[in-house]
Amino acid sequence: MIVRLPTTARRALGAALLATTCLVGTVSMSRAETLGGVTDPIGVVKVAKGQPVFIGGMMVLAGPDLALGLDASRGAEVAFDDHKNMVVGHPIKYLPEDAGCSVEGGQAAATRLAANKNIVAVVGPACSSEARGGAPILWNVGIPNADTSATAPALTAPDRPVGLQGLARFVYNDADAAAAAVVYAKSLKVTKVATLHDGSLYAQSLAEKFGDLWKTGGGTITAAEAISPSDTDVRPVLTRIGSTKPELLFAPIFTSASAYLTRQKPEIATMAKVDVLGTDAVLSPAFLEAAGDAAKGYRLTGIDNDPKLLGPSYPALVAKYKEKYGEAPIAGYHANGYDAATAVLMAIEKVAKTDAAGDTYIGRKALRDALLSTTGLNGATGPVSCDKFGDCAPSHFAVFEYVNGDKETFELGKNPKKVYP
Amino acid sequence: MFDVKDWIRRAGWVDWFLLALRLLVMAMVGGGFISGLLHPRYGRDEWLSFAAFGLTIGAIYALIALGYTMVYGILRMVNFAHGDVFMTGGYAACFSLVACNRAGLLSSQPLLSLFLAVLGAVTVSALVAVLAERIAYRPFRKGRGLAPLISTLGLSFVLEYSARGMFGAQNRSFPSLPLIDGTVDLLGLVMPKTQLVVMLAAVITMIVLTLVVMRTKIGTAMRAVSEDQDAAILMGINVDRVIVFTFALGGMLAGIAGLLYGLVYKQVYFFMGFFLGVKGFGAAVLGGIGNIPGAMLGGFALGLVESLGPAAFLDGLGVDSPYQLRDGIAYTMLVMVLIFRPRGLLGERLSTARA
Repeated sequence: MIVRLPTTARRALGAALLATTCLVGTVSMSRAETLGGVTDPIGVVKVAKGQPVFIGGMMVLAGPDLALGLDASRGAEVAFDDHKNMVVGHPIKYLPEDAGCSVEGGQAAATRLAANKNIVAVVGPACSSEARGGAPILWNVGIPNADTSATAPALTAPDRPVGLQGLARFVYNDADAAAAAVVYAKSLKVTKVATLHDGSLYAQSLAEKFGDLWKTGGGTITAAEAISPSDTDVRPVLTRIGSTKPELLFAPIFTSASAYLTRQKPEIATMAKVDVLGTDAVLSPAFLEAAGDAAKGYRLTGIDNDPKLLGPSYPALVAKYKEKYGEAPIAGYHANGYDAATAVLMAIEKVAKTDAAGDTYIGRKALRDALLSTTGLNGATGPVSCDKFGDCAPSHFAVFEYVNGDKETFELGKNPKKVYP
Repeated sequence: MFDVKDWIRRAGWVDWFLLALRLLVMAMVGGGFISGLLHPRYGRDEWLSFAAFGLTIGAIYALIALGYTMVYGILRMVNFAHGDVFMTGGYAACFSLVACNRAGLLSSQPLLSLFLAVLGAVTVSALVAVLAERIAYRPFRKGRGLAPLISTLGLSFVLEYSARGMFGAQNRSFPSLPLIDGTVDLLGLVMPKTQLVVMLAAVITMIVLTLVVMRTKIGTAMRAVSEDQDAAILMGINVDRVIVFTFALGGMLAGIAGLLYGLVYKQVYFFMGFFLGVKGFGAAVLGGIGNIPGAMLGGFALGLVESLGPAAFLDGLGVDSPYQLRDGIAYTMLVMVLIFRPRGLLGERLSTARA
């Protein structure tokens, strides 16, 4: 039975809902608290003596893009091992959640993490879409996050919304990645480039940034196309792109779509000889498993693995990673995960106060401020220092090329091998 | 004869809304089409390529749609797990070809490899479909309400996540068949051999299906059960056997669709049956669910609209990245067809006695 309320009652109900929403929004970020001598504008976490410090993880840990998150998560675990799994006299309890590399997945993972009032910080997100969905939920309850591989420029833009102001990024910014891709494309002496994205925050912003820089540099964007993440037939869109006669296709799309692109491109006569430039979203064995031999010759931009550019601790990180997991790093984000986790531990050590009874108190706002002001960290990715918007990681790019379609041969530097600079 | 004055007198706001919707869609489609003609972007080859892509995916939709439509015709039940039966066929074909590749058969005995892949896909899909009927559907056959529907949805998830658990969450590369690699020149249109093979295989499969349904004893029994189950029982037809055969036949078609999908799109993954299943169901509804030629027509129509629609309608309207909207075009067409013809393109030639 449908009950129709009188107009006045409906208006009153609407006003009440609006007021409640506003009140919840205000209250959730303004609950100054004093505990154990620590006063913080948005709350204090008490860690009783002998109890663990909870650190969450928000990463893609399943599906075709799991390597992005799993690699970073493993890097974080190695960082915790390096701290003997202790921080300010308490054991570390790491709670990773799968965020599915999507907005919805990020919301779900963040909601689960936010429900645990003992979590002080989160390592991740691993994808920009996860960040868009999850970071505001975490920061709404005062949990800062140390981004390991979400690279969309909007996440650290000067005008970013309040919900993203708890995020510090320990991976490069796509504004730099797009610039590096433009530099490489120019080195190929091409002038006409097409772009293809899949509608995700990461891919779309990177493709658009590339397009802007390319046009600013005097080049021509012949087509700026998009597919859906679930598309399996990319031949029509390739036919459309082919009709514009590009010399290069810049396609910052994820594993599954990239594999479809790679395997179907030779079937389109106008695109068969057009080179494709992807990004490190496909820097994983999963891409080789999906694309097979068609992956040979596929080029992508990624962080330069030159030991001179990486931090001095990087070789030790790789050795520990291999020992702990029985395989070489499965993607290019383990060092980012390591640095993000290390920065979180440093920030905790900086702001935590332990009383005579052995209980520790951590101010949430203070922790966020400490994380976003990380400086002088000689990390695995190189020198790490945050700017005022939360961009912390160094960024030196290279171009890699897959030389073998067998996923067992995946090893950064060998397959794919570095081809530029 | 249609009386306009009478229609205006009788029409309610819903009729006016539907009329406005039809006119709006027709104006958009017509406007986009004419604008596209005035500012041609594609040549003959591109249009033919779009059509070939549409027929290829349409053939796969049609094969999946046949499974939906046959089960609906017999049981008046939508089997939402049918997309996942298609997925099991894709995996079976993939593993068969991988095994052939390891044994060196793929290059030395390509026809034998293809036969083994067909056999693997058809056997596994038919087996899964029959087991599904026995375990998940038969207990609810006499029931009323939503229990059978929920059962099919539940089974769909069971199959998807079982595949994920057994084969992993990552996409798997589907081996290429050297036999059908390369291109073929067909009346001036250069197209991959794979596409041609897929279209031919789908058409042959549909012809065989039509012969089975129309010319065999079991096919006659299927039609009888479809028309009136009670009368079929009185005529001595073993209805249980007919239903099991229908599920097996639908499973075989889904298995062939899984193999063809792998040959064209070169990947299989545990969730592939979900989207393709929805499209196959859409194709069955478009053609007129319960109607076998309708399912075939619906599949090809859906594939063609998906492939040609963005270039034919949206390009002319100046929409950016039109191929991102192709599902939107396909389902808008589906809704429009159902508004004009609620029973689908070919209607439902089934008895209404049990409907």
